[in-house]
Amino acid sequence: MSAQIPAGLTEETVERIADERDEPSWLRQRRLDALAALPDRDLPDVIQTPGRRWTNLDELDFESLVDPNDQRDETERVGPDGVAVLSFVEALDDDEYAALVREHLDSVTEPETNYLTALSAALFTTGTLVYVPEGVAAEDVTIRTEAASQSLFGHTLVVTEESASVTILEQTSSDPADDPRYVSNVVEIAAGENSYAQYGSLQTLDEGSYHYTLKRADAARHATVNWIEGNLGSRLTRSDVETELTGDGSESKIVGAFFGHEDQHLDVNARVWHHGEHTTADLVTRGVLDDTARSVYEGVQDVGRDAWDTNSYQRENTLMLSDDSEADASPKLIIHNHDTEASHSATVGQVDREDLLYMTSRGIHPRVARNMLVEGFFVPVLEEIEVDEFRNDLRERIAARLR
Amino acid sequence: MPTDWPGQPDLSEIDIEEIVPYIRPDIDTRGGVDDWTDLPDEIKDTFDKLGIPEAEKNALSGVGAQYESEIVYQNMQEQWEDKGVIFCDMDEAVQEHEEIVREHFMTKAVPPSDNKFAALHGAVWSGGSFVYVPEDVTVEMPVQAYFRMNSEGMGQFEHTLIVAESGSEVHYIEGCSAPKYSEFNLHSGGVEVFVDEDAHVQYSTVQNWSTNTYNLNTKRAIVEENGRMEWISGSMGSKATMLYPSSILKGRGASDNHITIAFAGEGQNIDTGAKVYHNAPETKSTIESKSISKDGGRTNYRGLVHIADGATDSSTAVECDALMFDNESTSDTMPYMEIGESSVDVAHEATVGKIGDEDVFYLQSRGLDDDDAKQMIVSGFIEPITEELPIEYAVELNRLVELEMEGSLG
Repeated sequence: MSAQIPAGLTEETVERIADERDEPSWLRQRRLDALAALPDRDLPDVIQTPGRRWTNLDELDFESLVDPNDQRDETERVGPDGVAVLSFVEALDDDEYAALVREHLDSVTEPETNYLTALSAALFTTGTLVYVPEGVAAEDVTIRTEAASQSLFGHTLVVTEESASVTILEQTSSDPADDPRYVSNVVEIAAGENSYAQYGSLQTLDEGSYHYTLKRADAARHATVNWIEGNLGSRLTRSDVETELTGDGSESKIVGAFFGHEDQHLDVNARVWHHGEHTTADLVTRGVLDDTARSVYEGVQDVGRDAWDTNSYQRENTLMLSDDSEADASPKLIIHNHDTEASHSATVGQVDREDLLYMTSRGIHPRVARNMLVEGFFVPVLEEIEVDEFRNDLRERIAARLR
Repeated sequence: MPTDWPGQPDLSEIDIEEIVPYIRPDIDTRGGVDDWTDLPDEIKDTFDKLGIPEAEKNALSGVGAQYESEIVYQNMQEQWEDKGVIFCDMDEAVQEHEEIVREHFMTKAVPPSDNKFAALHGAVWSGGSFVYVPEDVTVEMPVQAYFRMNSEGMGQFEHTLIVAESGSEVHYIEGCSAPKYSEFNLHSGGVEVFVDEDAHVQYSTVQNWSTNTYNLNTKRAIVEENGRMEWISGSMGSKATMLYPSSILKGRGASDNHITIAFAGEGQNIDTGAKVYHNAPETKSTIESKSISKDGGRTNYRGLVHIADGATDSSTAVECDALMFDNESTSDTMPYMEIGESSVDVAHEATVGKIGDEDVFYLQSRGLDDDDAKQMIVSGFIEPITEELPIEYAVELNRLVELEMEGSLG
């Protein structure tokens, strides 16, 4: 289903955004093409079962949520020597980086995938390029974005050249506002041969905001792309984290952590496509729900016809702390090649009563015991995080929410 | 008609205008004869070949046999009749047991408005079985109905209604087959089961429709307090199957058990699974699914488990395993879980793998040839399910699997 076009979104608006950034004509045209495509694009697919739609994206009022004439943010970009971490404005001002952006932008994601990606392509103002040249090993690239306006659209492009490696932490946050915000974040990673990237994302938007994020990587031969997706904030989040294992021997982990409370609705999805031979994927998502929070999860492991010798695993576990929360889950296997070892599992339940009994019998207060068990529940996810600051931050925020 | 389910079978070939919805078999007695020898030779031969009269003698409490659109044979052992058990064809039930039929027929479980094929079924249904088991009666041996479509281009729309009063127990077995024609056939049956308090109904199906048949059924059970429903399905035949037997666990402590085997060979798309609604506290469900795909066939487990808010202390366990033979085949698993209650235990597990080269090699080193080795591995793969079946059915299922294997391995 398509949504309405936000008020004030015209060709002039888009031209003005391009003018302000002094954008090259191809990027300007990309905005105009996306705008033209907008009326025909549908909202991202959501799962429907008889009588139920798992996430009601079509109830969002984009006309009032999005103000195309006002996008403000505080974005901090930090990277070690040897790595370029630049805004698009800076990158496009330099011939070498401009060529890189032109070559790789939309090589992994497509602006016209759906209504929300087209909206992002037409309007994005916060662009970031992370470029890791051949053979360079870099740690702790950080991109911190604080949304200051009612709506904000960002696009991050990561290019890792052959045998490069990088760990990235991205943080998206905002202060509470009077009107609901809409924050969109598209990330694409073009992972070159034998390169390695870990992309950690921590979303702590204010709880009146609506959030859409599409993160997709394309992994070349022997490349590894690991995603860590942490969702704690927003009123409603729709998150799609995806990897295309195109090259032979490529690998991907998609690790997710979410903690919903009050009336938050978190729709988190992890998808992997095995195209090449000898590829491996591991999808691990752990989430906790309190109060009347709702979670929706879809995990897809798609093994192509020519994906010989595939290994693919998926686990999703949801813990419910409140009787009024709701969890929907659909882990899917789509297997076209028999030379595959694939499995998935999903569980939903409460904190284990026996564990709780054991701890209280050791004199620990029940509330403290429960909180310790919830913190422990996230350990398998926390252990995957390579950026210390990210791991500690996530751990502290989980602990804070439990108090 | 669902047309937008991910990966679902292509139903565009089905032209409802073309389907012959009703063919009256060539017999004189309405409602079926009660002696096999009274049947016309052609019909009798068909069922003889399928081994139905033989099975009746040995292991069944009653048998119904449908040929085309009507039941042609119906018999039930006297001892059950004396206890008030009714097993007759649906057309007769409409006449003779109007009160029960009226209350239950396409009202609560499968209303015609449910889906396109349920509506079609509601309009053109004929034949099928009616089973009524009075309070506290246990029917010790299974009752069986066998459905045969013999004509080209026909649609079979039998309706089966099972009413098990409180504390009763019955096992209903359904077999299906048809010879292969170039035109498509349509089987769109409706099954409604009412499991009252403390009652136990087992519904077993082995479907071996010819590979030109579209098998699109709606099967649903409503289970009251402490009642127990078991669905056992073997889907071997058909060109396309869409079948998701459902249990609505309405009463406290109600339980459901699904056992599903699907085998898709060349040109087959078997899309099957289970649906369970936990609408009361302390309800339980277990779903076990095994699927095998080879020679370009596609199997899909598609299932929904819904636990409503307030269905405290409910639990569900779903286990799906798939075996693939080759690179042309497809094996999908698409479970959906909707959990609205926190004090529950929900687990889902699935695996997909190929026939292990090492396993085959080992068996070959013990003197088996390649075909036998693979057959043995498949039998082992589905054994956890066949051992749950009554012995005659397990044998039948194993034989069908062997035939499927021979067809392409030979």
